[in-house]
Amino acid sequence: MAKYKTYDKGDALPEDYKKALLNLMAFQADSEYAGGQRVAENMQYAPRPEEAYRLSKKVMEEFGHAYYVWSLMAELGVNVDARLRELVEHPDNPDPKKVNVINGFRRENWSPMFHDWADVGLFSTVVTPAAVAFLGQYRECSYLPWARVNVRIHKEEHGHLAFGVWASKRCIEFGGEAMRADMQSRVPKFMRMGLGFYGRPSTGDKKSQMFDIYYEYGIKVRKPEELQAEYMELVEARLKEVGLEMPRDVQPDYDMRVGYAMDNPVAAE
Amino acid sequence: MSRGVAAAAPRFPDPLVEERHGILARYGYRLDRGGLERDWPGMWKLLQGDFATRGRPWVTGFEQLSPRQQEAARVYMRRRLVADELLDACKQAHADLHQSGIAPELVERYAIARDAYEDAVMEFGRAREQLDTLLPKDGG
Ligand SMILES: [Fe+2]
Repeated sequence: MAKYKTYDKGDALPEDYKKALLNLMAFQADSEYAGGQRVAENMQYAPRPEEAYRLSKKVMEEFGHAYYVWSLMAELGVNVDARLRELVEHPDNPDPKKVNVINGFRRENWSPMFHDWADVGLFSTVVTPAAVAFLGQYRECSYLPWARVNVRIHKEEHGHLAFGVWASKRCIEFGGEAMRADMQSRVPKFMRMGLGFYGRPSTGDKKSQMFDIYYEYGIKVRKPEELQAEYMELVEARLKEVGLEMPRDVQPDYDMRVGYAMDNPVAAE
Repeated sequence: MSRGVAAAAPRFPDPLVEERHGILARYGYRLDRGGLERDWPGMWKLLQGDFATRGRPWVTGFEQLSPRQQEAARVYMRRRLVADELLDACKQAHADLHQSGIAPELVERYAIARDAYEDAVMEFGRAREQLDTLLPKDGG
């Protein structure tokens, strides 16, 4: 049983709740779309036709996730067409006053992380589990239409994990032991990003100001610590499947985070 | 109809995404669309790299494949053609959302188009695996 009040389609939403909700929904939708654009950029690294097609399929999925969430935001009165337009017209540098794209999915932060196809495979193996765990919590959130859409998205994101393992294994299959060692050395750079996904811990003096509010409303239902534990489990299993080891003592990069850096939220109106 | 990329192909509203999808043309995307006579050897040339491995760095031309291998190669290429057609449908649905605005009916239409494209890409992969088992493990 939910420990917070839930709302369904058509229910009147308290003003503060609606504001907080739309802020997080916008972050998800805009970032899903920008994520699709970034994935499309990586098509240049696809070494073989099958890799190229599988990446193209991922682009389409990310766009689809954005559409699901935008569609709900439209019901709540947000002009989502303007958000799509901004992203389409300025893929390299969308205006942060108009869309909420996570730092990691902004081109200037994304592009330097990728040099070849091995990076593409590793990203899906090591960073995507963070998104899966993070977005997975919205399946239980207090705004039920958004919770339902995230059940749908979560199922598909799991497919992305399979993609990462498949692509990484193929790299090693073709590149042999030298490639395996090379990829192993790149794991920490992606783990820093994955670990930073959840934001700062929920207690202590560095805690996020917004977290308590979201948590009380039942918009966020997991603490960063819990999400991080879930992430570590997912990523360790995936790395093992690929034949790579899980590095210890990697420090999170909080600047790539999604979701918590919203002390100055952009109004989604 | 002349060969090459047909001018009427649907386009992504995103110039960057459209440009990056150019890589698919390298493998024959929108080549020979709709013609009854297909240039299988020509198409194979663009795709045979998919079958190169460390043990089999060089993959033979279409004419040198055995009838069984040729049939599996055609299945693989046909799967690709189906994927291309469904990719176009998906691009069209995406372009229409950009054009007409985001509304539930169009979002669900996009979801159907994209599901089908996804299935086709996975089928393409399965056909690759099938042909792969028929090719010699080492050499062409
Ligand atoms: Fe997604």
